[in-house]
Amino acid sequence: MEKIEAPSIHDALSQSQFVLEEMCAEEIVVPRKISEERKAKADIFYKTVSLFLFFCIWQFISYMNELSQWFNPVFLPSPTMVVQTGYEYFVDGTLFNHIGMSFYRMIVGFAIGVVIAFILGILISTSRDVDNIVSPILNMVGPIPVFAFLPMFLIWFGIGEASKIALIAYATFVPLITYIIDGIKNTDPVLIRSARSLGATQRQVFTKVILNSAMPHIFAGMKISLALTFSALVVAEMMGASSGLGYIIVNAKNWFKMSDMFLAATLIGLEYTIFYGVLTLVEKRLFRWKKAGSDKAIEN
Amino acid sequence: MSVTFEYIHKAFDEVQGQPKYVLKDVNLKIKTGEFICVLGKSGCGKSTLLNLLAGYLKPDKGRILVDGEKVDGPSAQRGVVFQQHALFPWYTVKENIEFGLKLQKREDTEAVAAKYISLIGLEGCENAYPAELSGGMAQRVGIARALVNDPQVLLMDEPLGALDAMTRDSMRKEIIRIWQISGKTIFFITHSVPEAVYLADRVVLLKAGQVAMDKTIDLPRPREIRSAAFSEYVDFFSEGLTESESGEETIIAE
Repeated sequence: MEKIEAPSIHDALSQSQFVLEEMCAEEIVVPRKISEERKAKADIFYKTVSLFLFFCIWQFISYMNELSQWFNPVFLPSPTMVVQTGYEYFVDGTLFNHIGMSFYRMIVGFAIGVVIAFILGILISTSRDVDNIVSPILNMVGPIPVFAFLPMFLIWFGIGEASKIALIAYATFVPLITYIIDGIKNTDPVLIRSARSLGATQRQVFTKVILNSAMPHIFAGMKISLALTFSALVVAEMMGASSGLGYIIVNAKNWFKMSDMFLAATLIGLEYTIFYGVLTLVEKRLFRWKKAGSDKAIEN
Repeated sequence: MSVTFEYIHKAFDEVQGQPKYVLKDVNLKIKTGEFICVLGKSGCGKSTLLNLLAGYLKPDKGRILVDGEKVDGPSAQRGVVFQQHALFPWYTVKENIEFGLKLQKREDTEAVAAKYISLIGLEGCENAYPAELSGGMAQRVGIARALVNDPQVLLMDEPLGALDAMTRDSMRKEIIRIWQISGKTIFFITHSVPEAVYLADRVVLLKAGQVAMDKTIDLPRPREIRSAAFSEYVDFFSEGLTESESGEETIIAE
């Protein structure tokens, strides 16, 4: 026996012919998380296609150029020619020497820059005296373009590795220290209070609260400095080096070897991308506790 | 343990060369195991009073004694629960609760933490990060985190202010339950009159930086919000609150 109830206003509404059509269309529900995963896969696909297309167009233009002579074909070597040049370097055994030297300079310079910025950043943000002494100097010297110092570095540290690594370290250090100081100073005071009330000493507050809170800032700073690190690497290698990717470019310029220049430039880009990717991966692992970013604000 | 405020003065600002007191001549004695609520409107100095007791601020005049010892800086003996839970976002629920124990390098850290996680009914959420918790859950973790150190006094700065009405209701019962089990002295700040009457053994009304009322609540627990006696207390303190308002107005009018 079914009870018959008087239809309420809601029933009347949902059964009205205007609403009916939409209600009837039975949609397949895909949970948010799964559709996100699918989108992420699609993102990777599109990004790969974009890169692939870029090289295709490049290849096509230089091929057409060779046929119809729009401009001197030497100006724009095709991707296959660049790969061939890379193979030649590989065969005569110098390819990995150049890549390795650049990598070595970059990683050592970057590491030294990060360590110095870290120590100095902590000192500046925890000690008023250090802040008063060091900050004015940093503020004055910091904005001077790093590359203006290259000749001085060459004279001070000689034309060996020391001058290059010093320049790279300095280029990393200057932008990074601001982020470190900012990160340390931006710690939520309530967190410091709560740690102290849980029995933490000043020191423990620093290691367990302030550093943890500053870490995301410091990582953001490291990623931003990385671009300058690489610029410094290339500039340092262009002046007074006999190996490295920057050296290939300068040397190729003297002999008008365009393919070599493109090869070196591509390898620098690749090295940067890999390094940036590693930093991003470490960041993702370290900061799983962070809230979702702006793209998760509103579902679409 | 007993807490004594003696002749407390605190100013942050100056007006015409004179310190502008947020707290002026506050004297208060709190007995061991007492649940005391400090009631007042925003800006009356109640949070300042708590910050002084916690040791974050120093009084300009007077002193605070906890069990006969002068308060000088924060200490694990005075646990604090904040309005915005203030959990460490990079630690999980379990790591947050263990924080105080790990600092003491205690060997029974695991067991004690597990005990408090079950006390607040958050089994299964041990490995969640604070960002993944609801407001009520986070606040319970905040209370457990303060309790693991076994503090003499528990200071609560409007811990229920940021919660929705339903969660607030169950959290009040939870706090009473935890208080009855642990027997701590609780110093609770609120601006809600019914909350103060429901929770406290004794309610202190703070008005313009001075103690305006100080009254013991003589009601059996659990308290019935709809009883006549309860309403009487609520009316009594509500009047006290609004009185201070009209008092201020007359000063301005003059």
